[in-house]
Amino acid sequence: MDRRFVLVTGKGGVGKSTVTALLAAASAAAGRRTLVCELNTQERIPGLFGRAPSGPRVTSIAENLWSVNIEPAAALEEYALMKLRFKAVYSLVFENPLVQRFVGMVPGMNDLLLLGKAFNHERERVPPGDDRGRLAWDCVIIDAPATGHGVTFFRLPKVILEHVPVGNMHDEAKGMWDLLTDPARTAVHLVTLPEELPVQETLELHATLSTQLGMPMGALWLNQVPPTWGTAETRAAAAALPRPAEGTALSAAWTVAQIRRQREAQATRYAAQLASLGMPMRHLPVMYRRDFDHGVLMELLAAARTQGTP
Amino acid sequence: MTIALTPIQQMVREARLIVTAGTGGVGKTTTAAALALQGALAGRRTAVLTIDPARRLANALGLDAFMGRAQKVPTALFTAAGLAPPAELSAMMLDMRATADEMVRRYAPNAEAAARIVSNPYYQAFSTSLAGTQEYMAVEQVADLLESGEFDLVVLDTPPATHALDFLDAPERLLNALDNRAINWLYRPKEATTRDPGYGARLLGKGRQMVFKSLNKFTGGPFFEDLATFLQAFSSLFEAFRVSSRAVQALLRAESTQFLVVTAPYPATVREAINFRAQLVERGFPFGGFICNRVHLPMTPTTAAELRPALVAAGVASGLVPPLAEDLAGLVGDHDRMADRDALSLADLAEVAGPALQVVPLLPEDVHDLRGLVQVGDWLLGRRGAG
Repeated sequence: MDRRFVLVTGKGGVGKSTVTALLAAASAAAGRRTLVCELNTQERIPGLFGRAPSGPRVTSIAENLWSVNIEPAAALEEYALMKLRFKAVYSLVFENPLVQRFVGMVPGMNDLLLLGKAFNHERERVPPGDDRGRLAWDCVIIDAPATGHGVTFFRLPKVILEHVPVGNMHDEAKGMWDLLTDPARTAVHLVTLPEELPVQETLELHATLSTQLGMPMGALWLNQVPPTWGTAETRAAAAALPRPAEGTALSAAWTVAQIRRQREAQATRYAAQLASLGMPMRHLPVMYRRDFDHGVLMELLAAARTQGTP
Repeated sequence: MTIALTPIQQMVREARLIVTAGTGGVGKTTTAAALALQGALAGRRTAVLTIDPARRLANALGLDAFMGRAQKVPTALFTAAGLAPPAELSAMMLDMRATADEMVRRYAPNAEAAARIVSNPYYQAFSTSLAGTQEYMAVEQVADLLESGEFDLVVLDTPPATHALDFLDAPERLLNALDNRAINWLYRPKEATTRDPGYGARLLGKGRQMVFKSLNKFTGGPFFEDLATFLQAFSSLFEAFRVSSRAVQALLRAESTQFLVVTAPYPATVREAINFRAQLVERGFPFGGFICNRVHLPMTPTTAAELRPALVAAGVASGLVPPLAEDLAGLVGDHDRMADRDALSLADLAEVAGPALQVVPLLPEDVHDLRGLVQVGDWLLGRRGAG
């Protein structure tokens, strides 16, 4: 949790936003000025802190905690103005519909703008633009795109470095790549579920990000782990129950216990497989609640804390 | 006596193309495979086109590599599962990396042009992320399968989409994106610049130079220029592509096509599914129904007091009866809370879809064999259910 540039990724639907919110809450609680970046999505994070979506403006959502939804068009304008200096030149160039169309067709352009903006938040100073000012954020946490798409996303600066030998774009990409591969500043957290496909994708993702691209890894979050229940004796006795007749008082309990047992066995199997990655692992239990709100998030954070610093 | 068919039963008997769509992690691929198996069991020659299935599911269908064509599921696998479908089931995996290459090969004017594009470093860097190529090729493969006359039913499993309509918009976006006008205006091909452009064009040319310079200043190098050269080469494919894209769009909107929106009973996921359906309908795609996977079905509430005599009767040691009854009642309570949540989600879906909603319960384990697929299929076709 000492790293200041934190990326959270994994397959779609595994709980990336939940883990992002959890890391953000932990960082803010430790007294660090923390900024959470969502990348051009339907925002999930502010809702988990009981707030309305932040939109493209950095907005306070809790003590020591701010959030923003980075949008490519706004990021492009900001960046282009920085480089071209004059609004009139910007308008002439980037408000030209043919240029917009061209920029829109450059593969990876949107992702590059999103990543670039997050990168700028990491090095943002107070007062703005003063290189001797203090860093604006102690920690920038990014809810990164889902796997597949995510790998392309992380690889972008490297692709640019390889294809653009000199100039602004090269320098920017170099700065981003240095940050992404700096173990002192950056940590990539992986989120997954104890199910076949997410686990398979996590193993592949780790091979690409860590082994191939050399990015520094944070923790591996295994989400939706069925929590243990009862005592060794009651669990053994439940497992030994003969199948009751349908519709009897015991049949519902027997079925539910059986589903739980099989899901637990499956989770244990996949946890063992993931342990081979050698990443610190955090288990997040299934929360048997109707609503997923801030209270549930705090309970999950407490569960994570029992396993080490989030 | 005639028994009314559920929308999905009817679909499996009559549709030519079923598309399963939805966000990631909701069981789309399993649903697609289970429906295809039901098609074959109903006597229709069926193919399922899946994208990146779980390895064990692929093995269950006898797929062990990206073959780039439909492979018949071996009879031995059916026999081993105690099944004897009257029609053949084929499966095909789409290799996301190969699709862009395939598209270039298919539409390039000649092999030389194709080789030039494929060897371009920008192409190599971006081929898997060129907006929409993969989605487009998936639909194109379906068109090929249907036209071959070898199949009565094709089930298409779509890639997970955060923005649900990415998949459907992709061909259109790709066409727009590679519209030559924008590239040619900025970075004209050499032959065009040798002709006298005329006064108006020269004036335009001044603006272009200004834009051009600023863009280079922005990137600090000829990045955009190099990229434009590549995009120009790539866009040479697009006349042929445009024609075939229209045919594909027509196929997706045909009466014999049905879209199933696959979802899970989590509130945010259900909202996305309902939104997806609205967008489908708005754009004239035939919506066939919702499939809601991973549902906690309601169980008869059970108290520890009710469980105790049953546990005694089942021969549990008397000292263990009270704590076991407590624990089991707790588990049923956990389940019931989730069942309540899921019921609210299902009510939201039913309000939109009416009877075109099929529930598949949370299963004890991932589905990874034909028997498991048959079970899922039974739920999908409403042969099993809570009532």
